[in-house]
Amino acid sequence: MNWLDVLSESSTRALARRTSRRSALAGLGSFLLGAATLPLLPVARGADSKPAGAAPAADPGDPQSCDYWRYCAIDGFLCGCCGGSKSMCPPGTDMSPVTWIGTCRNPSDGKDYVISYNDCCGKSSCGRCFCNRNEGDTSLFQPGQSNDYNWCSGNAKANIPYHCSTARIVGTAK
Amino acid sequence: MRLRIYNALAMSAMLVASARAEVPSDIGGGPSVATLAVPASKHWVWVNDFVFPHMADGMAYLVDGDSGRYLGTLSTGYGFARVVLSRDGKMIYSPETYFSRGTRGKRTDVVTLYDPGTLKTLGEIAIPPKRSSNLPMMANSVMTDDDRFLLIYNFNPAQSVTVVDTTTRKFVREVETPGCALIYPTGPRSFFSVCGDGSLSLVELDDAGAAHQKRTQPLFDMAADPVTEKAVRIKDSWYFVSFAGRIYPLKVGAQQAVLGTSWWLSSEAERKAGWRSGGVQQLAADPQKSLLYAIMHRGGLETHKDPGKDVWVFDVSTGKRVQQFALKSLASSIQLSSDEKPLLFSIFIEAANLDVYDAASGKWLRTVEHVGTSPTIMVTP
Repeated sequence: MNWLDVLSESSTRALARRTSRRSALAGLGSFLLGAATLPLLPVARGADSKPAGAAPAADPGDPQSCDYWRYCAIDGFLCGCCGGSKSMCPPGTDMSPVTWIGTCRNPSDGKDYVISYNDCCGKSSCGRCFCNRNEGDTSLFQPGQSNDYNWCSGNAKANIPYHCSTARIVGTAK
Repeated sequence: MRLRIYNALAMSAMLVASARAEVPSDIGGGPSVATLAVPASKHWVWVNDFVFPHMADGMAYLVDGDSGRYLGTLSTGYGFARVVLSRDGKMIYSPETYFSRGTRGKRTDVVTLYDPGTLKTLGEIAIPPKRSSNLPMMANSVMTDDDRFLLIYNFNPAQSVTVVDTTTRKFVREVETPGCALIYPTGPRSFFSVCGDGSLSLVELDDAGAAHQKRTQPLFDMAADPVTEKAVRIKDSWYFVSFAGRIYPLKVGAQQAVLGTSWWLSSEAERKAGWRSGGVQQLAADPQKSLLYAIMHRGGLETHKDPGKDVWVFDVSTGKRVQQFALKSLASSIQLSSDEKPLLFSIFIEAANLDVYDAASGKWLRTVEHVGTSPTIMVTP
């Protein structure tokens, strides 16, 4: 989820732009083009997808820190600070199966990875390690890449309060 | 011991009696609760708060911009966006979401009706439990220009608009708006939503609330220069700002929409220096004077939601900047009062102090401290 977008300079401005917005758009352009014409938005279903053979060899950085490479388009409380991890929800919550995605560059291999920011739902806001970065973020008009929707809404499994956000690798961006 | 108690009581009674002689009793008339003038002063502002650390506890606060006095509070449930005020000032509509056990249990969405004089609930209108939960926008919930239908944006993640009849106080129907988001009124019974490919879904409602829809060609180029959701309306046009800081005027009615010539908020040199607009409610409009106010800051394209400390003012008829001034504090939201001598309100989502300025001169007038937790959208009568 993500909404708190305004962020302090420490959470946004201080972070180097590691991935250009254009590369993100290029990688997902065709995907989103299709999205605009369908009645239901085929936004990333990261909870149901398996990483497409794309786990990076090296995964550098601190997943409890906002400048960790996978968080380039995140907006919310980091689940690693809330009893979960960068890719796992905290105990007692449900992972939203529908979410938004970003494209982030792994500094160790220089490749762009598609990241699914699945929200964890079912308890009030964790309130720890708030992080907002907007590299490649779109407006609410293009939901699949917008970090301003609360993705705990809108389905039977997770139509409940927002708790924190994960950052799961879906695959490499072409 | 008993004697001492009697003495103490007697002394208390004497103290009360002597006090009464100087300061009238507060309890003689029974319970006492403040009320508010109806219609509200044009210099009052509703500050809406989605209370990010405790989102089940959304709130709205009413503040008098002239005196800086905090006037009252609404308690508005989970993932709150904003209140919608009737044009005659006689009703406050608030689309709200609740869970039966606070943060779990069955979800219920309602439009709560509040009396603007007492801030008490007058009733509820049940609506489909689909209200979009997102970083709040003005365009989440709006009223048609004739005040007949209240419209609420849904995202689950299918996109639609809930139509509520304010006359019968009933949910009427859902208008499907696949691929298109939010709601921008265009006339007595019409509105549009903006679609992911840059086209618009134009919708007109008839007397029964039935929808007649039409999709335009793509008007915005969402790949080359995407626009934000934070548009403002001046007369028959909506003004959208792009991430890069360009204004796109959209002349739009129930049946058609025409995109006018775009113009930049900044000069070429200023753009090179990184000047752009950002925030949660980063634009405000004075329709009477055709002026557009924008929060400005310096940063890269990905800072399109960052707060700023400067306000630039533009005449939309020429696209020329007519004024600029520095704010006292960082701001993510600005709003103008709707009278002829408007106040400018500003607030930052992370530091809930409401600043009040004279909009014409940019002169700071006062600060009202501690207005909420995560204030987002400001609404003026």
